[in-house]
Amino acid sequence: MTMTISPGSGVRSLKDRLLGRPLPLPGEPRAVVRLHDVTKTYPNGRTALRDVDLAIPEGDFVFLVGPSGAGKSTLIKLLIRDELPSHGSVFVDGLDVARLPRREVPKLRRRIGIVFQDFKLLPRKTVRENVAFALEVTGTPGRRIRPAVDRVLALVGLTNQADQLPSQLSGGEQQRTAIARALVHDPRLIIADEPTGNLDPLIAWEIIQLLLRINELGVTVLMATHNAEVVTALRRRVVALEEGRIVRDEPRGAYHHDD
Amino acid sequence: MLRFLAFSLRRAWQGFWRNALMSLAATATMTLMLVLLAGFWILQAGLLAGLEFVEQKVEVVADLRDDAPAAEIDALRRRLLAEPGVRSVDYVSKEEALARFRERLAAQGEEDLTRYLDENPLRASLEVKLADPRVAGEITDRLRNERIVESVIDIENLVDRVLTVTNILRMAGAVVLVVVGLIVLFIVVNTIRLAVLARADEIEIMRLVGASDAFIRWPFVFEGAFVGLLGSLVTLGLLGLAAEPIGRFLFDFFRILPLQLGSLARDVAIVVLAAGLGLGTVGSWISVRTYLLR
Repeated sequence: MTMTISPGSGVRSLKDRLLGRPLPLPGEPRAVVRLHDVTKTYPNGRTALRDVDLAIPEGDFVFLVGPSGAGKSTLIKLLIRDELPSHGSVFVDGLDVARLPRREVPKLRRRIGIVFQDFKLLPRKTVRENVAFALEVTGTPGRRIRPAVDRVLALVGLTNQADQLPSQLSGGEQQRTAIARALVHDPRLIIADEPTGNLDPLIAWEIIQLLLRINELGVTVLMATHNAEVVTALRRRVVALEEGRIVRDEPRGAYHHDD
Repeated sequence: MLRFLAFSLRRAWQGFWRNALMSLAATATMTLMLVLLAGFWILQAGLLAGLEFVEQKVEVVADLRDDAPAAEIDALRRRLLAEPGVRSVDYVSKEEALARFRERLAAQGEEDLTRYLDENPLRASLEVKLADPRVAGEITDRLRNERIVESVIDIENLVDRVLTVTNILRMAGAVVLVVVGLIVLFIVVNTIRLAVLARADEIEIMRLVGASDAFIRWPFVFEGAFVGLLGSLVTLGLLGLAAEPIGRFLFDFFRILPLQLGSLARDVAIVVLAAGLGLGTVGSWISVRTYLLR
């Protein structure tokens, strides 16, 4: 069932895995995320990622696991072009992220919904305004904002809390607001960086359930997490990073390497 | 485009009031700095007027031969007036020269010795007042070559010295004004930077949800312009209240100076408005730029 992959052999195992899947089209499957031979060395000389190959097909739900400092955050930063790879190529939804001109970066970010551990909500805006903000600052016409916001608030179950401020919400509700904001652009990909890190276990499960439901609607989800219980229980695809390398990539993995 | 403008202006307005304390602090700093700038501008204008006044005192005096025909004197006078840099040419007759000499003696309390003279020993002269003291040498040379001119007192040395002093003072005034301007720029930019820093989270969220640089930048730039405009208006209000005493002071102090209060007030208003708007706009542009460059 599970595969043991030694560091550096990520490419091969991944190809094997992908070939085992039914392909929608002949040739390469449509990958929302594709990293090829990616190395990231920071100006201070620290290498955060080494020779990373990763493909995430459309509709996948992927857990990104690994100890702190393994390169999870760097990987996410490369996907949203907060950082550029030192070597290799990064494609997100067909966009060549590393070669994307600066002015095209917002276009990339609108195709990705990002959710953080600390929610990153604006404290003086209501739930509705926080979600609408993502549309307003990207120049969406006013008449299209209201229906889009209502739709995602219903999806995350916050219709009744729409006019409350983040400080009036529980942690779980705040995170659902953040997820609603991430969804409001109709992204192809949701990246969640430790979305349950600040939540107690029960609420964490609610958030995971929500992400799974979003995934069922066809949105690809990449979730970096330390939540071993959730990862192991769900048996979804697990990509494990250690010291900047992909050391494990299993279609139905656990948080820890299965012995 | 219209939506963008409306969005930016609305966000700028909201931004100003959502962070009212910070905005008011920035406006207060802006006002203080603009008052400082305006003060130095007025001093500089007074200084320049003073220097101009001193320079206008420079005149070339040509003593005329006693036998110079009136027609030729008049012709010379006309020719001099046509010269660039010449402000006025006054003819002083022998009698006037003597009268002035007597006045001077009387003023100094000396005994009038001239009444022992058989005839008037003083010469008639042309006093050439200069608008530009730098032409003094040229005018002197020209006058020396005139047939009807007996002698010209050499003032080139004096002119050089006056010009050296006035140029140094002009330079110093300009340097002080530039330094004050830079200090104002530095302080205002830093205040705005603090105001922007307080909203770093907001900028980060905007970037993450895919706002283009323009959508992030312009609300802040408009907000900065608004702070600048408000600061200028408060400054102008304060200066308006102080205009009367300032005007009286300038008049008392610089009564003799060629200083036009009307145009000075207009200049100060333009400087304050331009500096306020410019500093606010540039300050926020620079501050936001830090976040956008990443």
